[in-house]
Amino acid sequence: MKPAADSDIEALSSPPFWLPILAGLPIGLCLIVMALPVLGHGHATAYRTLYLLAFLMWIVPLTALQRGLWRRRTPLWAMALVLLATTYLMSLANNALGAALAVIAGWQPASEFEWTGLFSGLDGCWLALIAFCAIHAVVAYYAQLKQEQHRRLHMTALVRDAELRALRYQLRPHFLFNTLNAISALVAENRNREASDMIVRLGDFLRATLDGSQGHEVALADELALTETYLEIEKARLGERLRLKWQLGPDLLSARVPCLLLQPLVENAIHHGIARRTAAGELEIRIVREGDRLCLRLSNDTEPASPADAAPRASAIGLRNIRERLQKLYPGEHGFEAGPRPDGGFEVRVSLPFREASGLQDASA
Amino acid sequence: MIRVAVIDDEPLARSGVIVRLARQADVTVIGEYGDGAAALSGLRELRPDLVFIDMRMPGMSGLDVLAALPAHERPMAILLTAYDSFAVRAFELRAVDYLLKPIDDERFAEALDRARQALAWRTSVPPAPVAAPDEPARWLNRFCVRVGRKTVYLAATEVEWIEADGDYATLHVGDKTHLLRESLQRLCERLDPALFMRVHRSAIVRIDCVTELQPLANRDAMLRLRSGTPLRASRTYIEPLLGRLRGESVAQSYLHDCVGKTSRD
Repeated sequence: MKPAADSDIEALSSPPFWLPILAGLPIGLCLIVMALPVLGHGHATAYRTLYLLAFLMWIVPLTALQRGLWRRRTPLWAMALVLLATTYLMSLANNALGAALAVIAGWQPASEFEWTGLFSGLDGCWLALIAFCAIHAVVAYYAQLKQEQHRRLHMTALVRDAELRALRYQLRPHFLFNTLNAISALVAENRNREASDMIVRLGDFLRATLDGSQGHEVALADELALTETYLEIEKARLGERLRLKWQLGPDLLSARVPCLLLQPLVENAIHHGIARRTAAGELEIRIVREGDRLCLRLSNDTEPASPADAAPRASAIGLRNIRERLQKLYPGEHGFEAGPRPDGGFEVRVSLPFREASGLQDASA
Repeated sequence: MIRVAVIDDEPLARSGVIVRLARQADVTVIGEYGDGAAALSGLRELRPDLVFIDMRMPGMSGLDVLAALPAHERPMAILLTAYDSFAVRAFELRAVDYLLKPIDDERFAEALDRARQALAWRTSVPPAPVAAPDEPARWLNRFCVRVGRKTVYLAATEVEWIEADGDYATLHVGDKTHLLRESLQRLCERLDPALFMRVHRSAIVRIDCVTELQPLANRDAMLRLRSGTPLRASRTYIEPLLGRLRGESVAQSYLHDCVGKTSRD
């Protein structure tokens, strides 16, 4: 699956083969124009025509070579060296052809031929070939840029989709209804102050969910803030039954994480774990950096009766949603595991490449 | 008396504000309007000191109404908004604060205090002198909490942060938590401001436990405590908190934060 996708991108990231060749034609035109003043002098017309044809012939293998180097991700300096050497050899060959033409046509006796002559007057041919490589690079780079833009647009669409789905899945109807129900209970008991607090929190949470629409990644601090607004509601609903244990490592607040990553995981843990217990349950959230990876672990108690069976299945949709989004955002670079703990709880582990938000602008890798 | 007008196209939204204003002794509501045009003529006639005005109304928006008034007739404004981001233009139109809907009582009180201070400034009445916190003896330096049947005494300096829990407060001491029968509001008044500070409507933190502060996109901030607990700080508390973290004296920032927030009721 993955290699196929990779080669797709590779194929798309360079322009079609004929395009750089077409783009190289203006150089051919230049060669003709530069040749105009000398036409008619001696055998200039024949030489120039030979060089032009040779140029047109060389650009085909040259294009193939340059692409081959790109495909193998050759470093820039090595590529420059290889191309310079190749184009030099090609111009040498041109000169050799010219000399051969002279000898065959009898303009110059073979005895007068000097090897050193081959190495002089290379500039015309060599510069033209180098210019062609440069044009090819520019065209390819432009195509890649287009491709990147296209990918980014596609990404934005995916994020939008994820956000919408996130809103639908993660702000589960039962969470909303349970909260409304709790509010109406507070009103019925005339606990107006608490009811109005709860409404304010629900408003905060909805706003925070809508705010995170600038990009597909946010600073961990933002995701934590959203999670806390959510937790405030759950704390009010569950009271003593929810015990939270945070373990946030140092210097992580500016780490980049996908938006709506932590909150849905926490909601999942509460909804399928803590809320189903009659006794108090603990939710432990551990976020640490391990080398160049950011590791999140959520571990929660579950209903004692069905430790391994009901919870994972019921929460599968939410977890799958997160897994899919991670796959889209960090193809091949993420880790995601969810499963029952040996002692009966449930645990989710996520790991991502650690990157810091340098500013607020998003810069997808 | 502060003369106030309330402008919102929804009657329930207006009454929500009016009911909250009715609890204030120094405020009188002199008018309410359901649309921009009516508000405009009403405001010119009544010349209130302060308006609560909805940003989004059919026809004229709240900002349009304010902008349509000549500068010298323009009242001070507290904007009401459900979701709009707060426009910079609002500052030019004498907005002192803005409130998000649904309205949080505590934020409401803060906004009103802000308007009170601004009005006092404007009418060049010096603000009421505030007693400096110079009686260390009156600060709460330990808590007694029940653990099972016994009573345990905790030094205030052991407590890392305090979380609101309805009319109770939860003390966080290392891995343990203790429930205290006291509201956060009361605690905020009783705790030494040199040690503790409110950072959010539902949290007080011991200042020396804060190790990191990261601003958020919405002008709030996220704190990290030494124990690894993340904690949200709302924008209204951030300035004084930053001052305190920079090591400013309590008196300087005390004037900013606790006074404004505890003087209601």
